[in-house]
Amino acid sequence: MKDKITDSIKEFGLPRLIITGFLLLLLILAPFVGADLPTQISNIINRFSWNGVLVLAMVPMVHSGCGLNFGLPLGIISGLLGATISIELGFTGAASFVVAILVATPFALVFGTLYGWLLNKIKGGEMMIATYVGFSSVSLMCMMWLVLPYHSPNMVWGLSGKGLRTTISLEGYFDQALAHILQINIGNISIPTGTLLFFALLAFAIWAFLHTKTGTAMTAVGSNPAFARAAGINVDKVRMLSVVMSTWLAAIGILVYEQGFGFIQLYMAPFYMALPAVSAILIGGASVNKASIMNVIIGTILFQGIVTMTPTVMNNMIHMDMSEIIRIIASMGMILFALTRKTEAAKR
Amino acid sequence: MNNKKKFDFRQASVPVMFIIICAICIPLSGLSPKMLINEIVTRMGRNSFLILSLLIPIMAGMGLNFGMTLGAMAAEIALILVCDWQIVSVPGMILAAIISVPISVLLGIFCGNILNRAKGREMITSYIMSFFVNGIYQLIVLYLMGKVIPIKHSSIKLPRGYGIRNTVSLLSMRQKLDNMLAINIAGVKIPVLTFIIIAIMCLIIVWFRKTKLGQDMRAVGQDMEVARDAGIEVEKTRIISIVISTVLAGLGMIIYLQNMGNIATYTAHSQIGMFCIAALLVGGASVDKASIGNVFLGVVLFHTMFIVAPRAGAYITGDSMIGEYFRVFVSYAVITVALIMYETNKRKAKSAASMELAAAQDSEDSKKSAD
Amino acid sequence: MNKKRQLIFRCAAILLVIALAVVMFVIGRGHTIYFDNKACEYGGKSYDAYYKVTVVKDKEKVAKLAEDERGMADLMGQKLTVTLEITDKKGEEPHSHKVSMPIPYSMDGVVINVPLLMAGQSADAYMSEFVPIATPEEDEEEEVVIDEFEMTDDV
Repeated sequence: MKDKITDSIKEFGLPRLIITGFLLLLLILAPFVGADLPTQISNIINRFSWNGVLVLAMVPMVHSGCGLNFGLPLGIISGLLGATISIELGFTGAASFVVAILVATPFALVFGTLYGWLLNKIKGGEMMIATYVGFSSVSLMCMMWLVLPYHSPNMVWGLSGKGLRTTISLEGYFDQALAHILQINIGNISIPTGTLLFFALLAFAIWAFLHTKTGTAMTAVGSNPAFARAAGINVDKVRMLSVVMSTWLAAIGILVYEQGFGFIQLYMAPFYMALPAVSAILIGGASVNKASIMNVIIGTILFQGIVTMTPTVMNNMIHMDMSEIIRIIASMGMILFALTRKTEAAKR
Repeated sequence: MNNKKKFDFRQASVPVMFIIICAICIPLSGLSPKMLINEIVTRMGRNSFLILSLLIPIMAGMGLNFGMTLGAMAAEIALILVCDWQIVSVPGMILAAIISVPISVLLGIFCGNILNRAKGREMITSYIMSFFVNGIYQLIVLYLMGKVIPIKHSSIKLPRGYGIRNTVSLLSMRQKLDNMLAINIAGVKIPVLTFIIIAIMCLIIVWFRKTKLGQDMRAVGQDMEVARDAGIEVEKTRIISIVISTVLAGLGMIIYLQNMGNIATYTAHSQIGMFCIAALLVGGASVDKASIGNVFLGVVLFHTMFIVAPRAGAYITGDSMIGEYFRVFVSYAVITVALIMYETNKRKAKSAASMELAAAQDSEDSKKSAD
Repeated sequence: MNKKRQLIFRCAAILLVIALAVVMFVIGRGHTIYFDNKACEYGGKSYDAYYKVTVVKDKEKVAKLAEDERGMADLMGQKLTVTLEITDKKGEEPHSHKVSMPIPYSMDGVVINVPLLMAGQSADAYMSEFVPIATPEEDEEEEVVIDEFEMTDDV
């Protein structure tokens, strides 16, 4: 019995247990320290709806054995290009969201293909290179945002009339485009049904895809490439597909995030965006080579729960806002934990 | 033989590219040669020691040590304390060095142990490690200092009574090391003592390579299994290499910060790893091979680019930001390219080895079937 | 045997480093010395300020004080040695005095009253701790920026 408990704890992972316990503790403490629980829960749901798709973007690459997608910024850039071009073309309201997705898609496909091609050349070292591909592309785009011929007065610097601003308000464009669909408002709580449905749709699509023939092939490539090759699967092609999918999901993910957040953030903003998404899916129970839709959902709720709850609860309790530091230590600790575990699995 | 030549060409390509970039940008930047040389000499004194700290983990086959930031953080904690105790000038630096070493050693042991559990993915792990320890560093500096660790002077404390300000002035140490024995040649200030320290460090590294431990490290770097069979304690050797690197990074950070004259408490260390690694790679090093020559060539080329790029960019496009983004982009691109080159070479070597193995097996099989 | 010797060596090395640290603590302690050329009263007697005082430390002029002025010098270690070039009245030739005194370790800032010092009074009289006037800090808290990507100019 005791062994069973320790086994299941081991399976679950100590860091994950600590994080879950910590969130539960926060939830229990919240009413006592005077934080409004319904508002908190509403916040968590909202933040979940913003970030869900970005975390979902991890799944295909993990499945095909490309590891955690530290190159998420590359997909994010496709999304940013989609959003800015859509506004530049003069679309407003919800239409601009649709156009943004349409414009972002070809970029994501092209970038994803190049990225996938590169990752196929360097099998085994994906994560480090993915990180730096992300960094390089973000810093390259920093120059591009200044140089590209954008003219929309809502986006460029007012004085010089050229070069995009660091943050662009989406008011009048696709701010809350999804959230307002079927939105439920009860008192303090507002549930962005549209965004949740959109996430559910994409999550279902990925789930369904993973159960098709190609999808199972992808899982096979991830769990045992040699076996997959022997079974006649074109490993490189499947990996490429997974990278393209991840990149496209990242592009959509950032658009969903922006419609919730209400602003487009350019320049250095996408730089570290991969890290929260990576740690979220790991907190949800994924590992470097295994991830499910359930991991995405649980992980995003836990991670966003901690992000939203700690500042208020901590502040009310000890009058110190240590949330930032708790977030850094928890998420980075989680990634470290996951990175150190792979070798044990490989040894077995 | 042919293969080796090609490899060398690849190694040289990055420095050559940088020489070309610098050659184009220098005239456009409009900097006088005196100013430029002055800047480069200053930056050589400032950064070389930090970059030297990267060499030993490369030797031990652990790749680019992104965890050198850990040492930088140890140095910052030491300097903040020394600053509060009002120990000034060179004695202050020596004291800070003495305090930083145990912190660096502890962090190094921690980091080395984690990296041993993540063999084959040391770089990404050490990279995440730097973020993780940054969180702990902030916990210490922002919350514990002034509450648990006594901090007396309000000039470095936040107005709320605990935590350290965004910048801590090191005016009492500013360039005290550089100015000692400094000589001035045609308007160029040469920090002789700093260079002597760097030179001594280089000699130590050269000597270290020849010691038993250095040889062991190289063996571990070449092939862990072979080294283990030869009776080398692989795990311990790897931890030692990371500890040495972390300690050296800490000392390097003290040299760096005494030149800067202030500590950006929460940001000074965050970029240091990236820039040092980029500089080393620009000097022609790769993930598994780096020499002292790479360090100095890298410092000169990378920092020349760093100085002239914004000005040249401003001259060409009329926007100074483009040049700044350009140099950041170049730093990242250099690291990316070096990583890609390393991984493709590794794969090639691997597939060549496995092909040989397969061929050997084939011939054996055919022999067997012939029998 | 060898192990034991190694242990002894290690302990010795650590002790040596600690000793070095202690030495650094002593010789590296920085003080800020403030020289006051101010008239004052002590023990019922009054002392006049000089017309001009020049403070020379390590062959370098660190402060030039007219009447009622205060000058500043940095000091490392616990022994202050300065040369005071004093002009009593306008037009007179300056006469210089070499003075040296111990500075208490615990004081960050030390105020030295030159007239009292020259009158040969005790250290208690001419030396006092400099207490920085607590400037009421602006209420706005310093915003601490934790993880922001910053492109530093100086690397």
